[in-house]
Amino acid sequence: MAKAHAGVWSGRIHLRSRLRRIVLYSTVLVVCLMTFFPIYWMVVSTLQPNEYTLHFPPPLFPQEITFGQFAELFVAHPVAIWIRNSWVIALLTMLVCMVLSIMGAYALSSLRWPGRNLFGLFLLVTQMLPEMLVLIPIYGIYRSLSLLNNLTSLALVDAAFILPICVWILKGVFDTVPHEILDAALVDGCNELSVIWRIVLPLTVPGLVAVAVVAFFFAWNEYLYASILLGKAELMPASVGLSTLKAIGRTPIEQYMAAGLIFSILPILFYLLMQRYIVSGLTAGAVKG
Amino acid sequence: MSNWGQTRAAAGGGQRGGVGRRPVGRLLLPYLLVLPILVYEGILLVYPIVRGVVGSFQSIELATNVAPEWVGLKNYQRMLSDPEFWKVMQTTLLFTGLVILTAISAGLLTALLFNRSFRLRPVARGILMMPWAMPEVPVVMIFIWILNPQFGVINIFARMIPGVDQNPQWLLDPVLAMLWMVLIASWKAFPFYSLVILAALQAIPEEIFEAARVDGANWLQLFRHITLPGIGTTLELLVVLACIFSFKQFTLIYLMTGGGPSGATETIVIRIYNTAFRFYDYSYATALGVAGFVVSLVIAFFFVILQARRAQENF
Repeated sequence: MAKAHAGVWSGRIHLRSRLRRIVLYSTVLVVCLMTFFPIYWMVVSTLQPNEYTLHFPPPLFPQEITFGQFAELFVAHPVAIWIRNSWVIALLTMLVCMVLSIMGAYALSSLRWPGRNLFGLFLLVTQMLPEMLVLIPIYGIYRSLSLLNNLTSLALVDAAFILPICVWILKGVFDTVPHEILDAALVDGCNELSVIWRIVLPLTVPGLVAVAVVAFFFAWNEYLYASILLGKAELMPASVGLSTLKAIGRTPIEQYMAAGLIFSILPILFYLLMQRYIVSGLTAGAVKG
Repeated sequence: MSNWGQTRAAAGGGQRGGVGRRPVGRLLLPYLLVLPILVYEGILLVYPIVRGVVGSFQSIELATNVAPEWVGLKNYQRMLSDPEFWKVMQTTLLFTGLVILTAISAGLLTALLFNRSFRLRPVARGILMMPWAMPEVPVVMIFIWILNPQFGVINIFARMIPGVDQNPQWLLDPVLAMLWMVLIASWKAFPFYSLVILAALQAIPEEIFEAARVDGANWLQLFRHITLPGIGTTLELLVVLACIFSFKQFTLIYLMTGGGPSGATETIVIRIYNTAFRFYDYSYATALGVAGFVVSLVIAFFFVILQARRAQENF
C-alpha cells in the first residue's frame, strides 16, 4: 500500500509503519522477558555461586559460573534413586496408555458403531474430573489390597487419569489417515488388526510419539498420588523427592535450583516439540492445529 | 501422502479371502477394542467414585480397619452447616474466577500479538510456551525462591513501587498470597490458552479483513465485528476448560501455602486433602469430595454442550 502513494504521503506512511514495527518488537520483547524471567532466575540461581545469590539485592546477571553444584546435589540427596523411580512409573504409565489408547482411538476414529458417541462422552467427562475426588476411595481400596508402596500400582492409577486425553489425541491423529487407504486394504483382504498394525501405526508415528510424551510426562510430573500412595523413602519419585528439599536452611540454593532444573529439562524439551498434538488432545479435538 | 504407493503395496500383499466372515467381526470389533478401556477406567475411576459416594453416607476409620458404620446424611448436614465449608467454596470461586480472567486475558493478548508476523517469531513462541511445559513442582520451587522475603529477586521490583521500602511477606499476607497463587497458576496456564486462541485466529480468512479495511473499518471495529465473533466459540470453550483446570489445581497451592495463611488460599481440593490426610477425617473428606464431584460434573456438562455446538459449526 505504502508504495502506491507518492510524494508527501509516502514519507509519513513509512514513518508510521516503522513506528509500528518498533512498538510491535518492544511489546514482544517485554512479554517474552516477563514470561521467561522466573525460568531465567532458576538458571541463574543454579549456575551462580550462592554468595552472589544470598545477598540483597542480588545481581540480575550471573557474576560467575560454576558446575560443582550438580555433583554436590547427587551426593547430598538420593536424586539418582528419585529419578530412577520416576522413570519406572512414567514408562509403565506410557506403556499402558499406548496399548489402550491405540485400540480406543481406532474404534473412535475409523469405525462406526452404536454407542460410539456415548463412549466419546464418557472419555470427555472422565478427563474433566479432579484427581482429588477419587484419591480417598483409591487410597482406601489400595490399603485394603496391600497395593500401597508399589510403583506399578501408582503407574496404573496415573494411566487411568491420562488415558482419556491420550485417546482423544490419537483419535485426532488417526482421523488424518485417508479412509481410502484403509478401505483398499480391507478390500484386499487385510483384517482390521493388521490394518491397524501395518497401515495406521506406521503412518501416524508423530502422533504416537505425542501420546507417549503426554502419558510419560503426566506420570513424571504427578505429585498428589505419588505422595499419598508411596510412603517409603526409597520409592519416592523425583516430583515428591524435590518437594522435600527446602530452600534456605537445609539445601543450598544452587543445589535446590539445580534439582528443579534437572527435573524440568526433559518435559520442556518434549512438550515444546509435541505442543500441537498435546493442545489438540486437551481441547478434545476442538482445535484443528 | 508419499506413503500412498508403499502402503497400497503392503496392503495388497496381505492375505486374501475370508471376506464372508468379516461382517460379524466388524460388528463386534469396536466393542472388543473399547472393552479394555471401559474395564480399566471402570475399576480405577468409576468404582472408586461409587465407593466415594457410598462412603460419604458412612463413618469411616481407615486407620483402625473398623467396619464402616452407616450414618445417613450426617456428613452432609455437617458440611452444609459448617461455615468453613462455605468459606472454602468462596475461596474456590474467587481463585477460579481470577485465574480464568487473568490467564485467558493474557492468552488472548499474546495470541493477538503473535498473530502478527515478525522476525524470530518461532523463537519467541518457544519462550512463551515454556511455563506451560514446566512441571508443577519445579514451578513451586522457583516461586518459593523468587518470593523469599529475605533474598527473593521479586523484592527488587517491588521496591521500585513508591511507598514500598521493606520486603513484603509475600505468602504470609492473605491478600498477597491469593494474588500470587492466581498469578503463578495463570503464568503456568496462559501459554496453552494463547496457543489455542492463536490457532482460532489463524483460521479466520484474511479476505474478510481486507474487505472490511477497504470499507474503511478501523482497528477496533475489525476486532469487534470480525476477530471476536471468529474466536467466540473458542473463547467460550477455553473459559470452561480454564474453570476445570483451576478447580482441579492442587500441587501449586498445596506446596506453596498449604491453603494458608489462615485459610486464605484453601480451595475445595486443598480442603479435602487437609481433612483426609492432616485431620484423618475420611468420612467428612469423602462428603466434601462428592460436593466437588457435583460441581465438576456441572462444569463438564457445559464443556460437552459447547463441544457439541462447536462440532456442528465446523461441519
